[in-house]
Amino acid sequence: MAECNTAVAQIDLTKVKPYGDTLNDGMTEVAFTLPVPYGDEANEAAKILAKKMGLDEPNVVYSKAMTKEYTFFVVYGKCQHTVDYTTIKVAKVDVDVMDRLECAEYIKENIKRPVVIVGASTGTDAHTVGIDAIMNMKGFHGHFGLERYEGIEAYNYGSQVPNEDLIAHAKELHADAILVSQTVTQKDIHIQNLTNMVELLEAEGMRDKVILVCGGPRISHELAQELGYDAGFGQHKYAEDVASFVLTEIVNRGMV
Amino acid sequence: MYLLEELAENYKRISIVGMAKNAGKTTALNYLIEEAMDEGLTLAVTSTGRDGEGTDVVTGTDKPRVYLDQGTIVSVPKQLYELADAGLEILRMTEYGTSLGQIMLCRVADAGYVQVAGPVINAQHITMCEEMLALGADLVLIDGAIDRKSIAAPDISDAIILSTGAVLSRKLSKVVEETAYTVELYSLPVLEDGEERRIIEEQAESDRLFTVKNGKAVTLNITTGLGSGKLLDNAIDEEVTHVFVPGAFTQSVVTNIDRRKLKNVTFVLKDPTKIFIDRTVWGKLRKYGLQVKVLENIKVVAITVNPTSPAGYSFDHDELTSEMQKAAGDIPVIDVMMG
Repeated sequence: MAECNTAVAQIDLTKVKPYGDTLNDGMTEVAFTLPVPYGDEANEAAKILAKKMGLDEPNVVYSKAMTKEYTFFVVYGKCQHTVDYTTIKVAKVDVDVMDRLECAEYIKENIKRPVVIVGASTGTDAHTVGIDAIMNMKGFHGHFGLERYEGIEAYNYGSQVPNEDLIAHAKELHADAILVSQTVTQKDIHIQNLTNMVELLEAEGMRDKVILVCGGPRISHELAQELGYDAGFGQHKYAEDVASFVLTEIVNRGMV
Repeated sequence: MYLLEELAENYKRISIVGMAKNAGKTTALNYLIEEAMDEGLTLAVTSTGRDGEGTDVVTGTDKPRVYLDQGTIVSVPKQLYELADAGLEILRMTEYGTSLGQIMLCRVADAGYVQVAGPVINAQHITMCEEMLALGADLVLIDGAIDRKSIAAPDISDAIILSTGAVLSRKLSKVVEETAYTVELYSLPVLEDGEERRIIEEQAESDRLFTVKNGKAVTLNITTGLGSGKLLDNAIDEEVTHVFVPGAFTQSVVTNIDRRKLKNVTFVLKDPTKIFIDRTVWGKLRKYGLQVKVLENIKVVAITVNPTSPAGYSFDHDELTSEMQKAAGDIPVIDVMMG
């Protein structure tokens, strides 16, 4: 059989770029809406914009009038940029994740009392999806929530809970941990709300007595440090991630 | 402007507190670090958040890096250690955990850029500052994070530098007013020495709300002042002269108190960082006769202004500095961008 002489492009992790048909061809799809009426000028505007985004040979493959004054576009192009994957460092929660039953076992062996966790979506945020995924019995995506954990008393106060109220509940229940969920992030409203929580807890003299955790789609563990939280959980994190962190931290901090 | 020499003589722990994110805290920190190098002072540097990373985790904007001289003591969490370009000698591992790993106390062996982060809990900052001073630092500088102001509390910081700037508002007058309001709160009247102060100080450690009535402290059966306006209203009668609130002093503590009663008592707080009432509401409450005194207030040694906002607008340097100076009284105002 004839040897395959096709040059196979090597993956260079210091210069990673998008893959479409062949390695490193940079093929990228973007979708956006512009406040201009549908037409040839609109398509040209989309092309120019895509070029400014760093997409070579932009190609408007789809455009549709949304209303009289707005047009939606799908554009393909070749990304000119690369990323050095080898230098990327992401802060991660540094604990061994235990499953629900292991958590129950851990509480029995190391904490020997019920662990109280309160949580809410605070401030003006009306979204319960995040806090429900972590706390509600049925959980999310096949991961049961904290309400189903043996040894954990979970109190989910729902949405639009003022920081002050959540703190008052935590104080009354002598909570070990407070979970704060923030889904809405327009104009960085979540940042203000999250720092307000930390500052109130400090003022109430409670900050060093609770484990403070935040979560939401735009929350990362790195951001948690800046905000003054013990941990931050973003997307693809479930009840077991949060529980493992809280339980380990209770033991580490000698709160048993 | 030589700021540091005088500060180091009088204070051991100075915090840089921001009115908002991107107000210029780290720029102010760098300015002080540079002065310390000229003066030959040994600094200790820490942060309530994180400092010295290239881009901001919230806004994605460029952040100033932090260059530390040889001999500086610095707190660095495990995950940021290898990102330092300075040579760091690890002095000890602390017990303070953060989301970026355990905090280590290091001495800079080779000057260079360092990413600094410290404990997120104020109580831990107090003990860590002591450790840093014991390791030979002349002065500890604590860089604040975002708009978190609790670090200004007098049990953590001997004095503070308040950083403010265009990022607060597109209106220059609003930037000045908001900043002046914070300065006003930080210089609230201190409860004068005497019988009442003695009674209150004696009881303050219990961390409970209490009233002072006929020269005696009466502890209230309330776990927190938050949302307790109604209960406080019941507790205040004609003989009550003072109400001590150990925790946060928010609108919900006072809104349900009858205005006639409000006028006749003095609220006493540990320090001004306990106040969480915005400027307009505060003004209204003061009109109704609200009186607040503190056991200790906060020494603001300088105000730094940053005339540029990352949102893409800026003020005239001189106008902002001079307007702020008018509002700040004796406190020196420094434009961090001009040096």
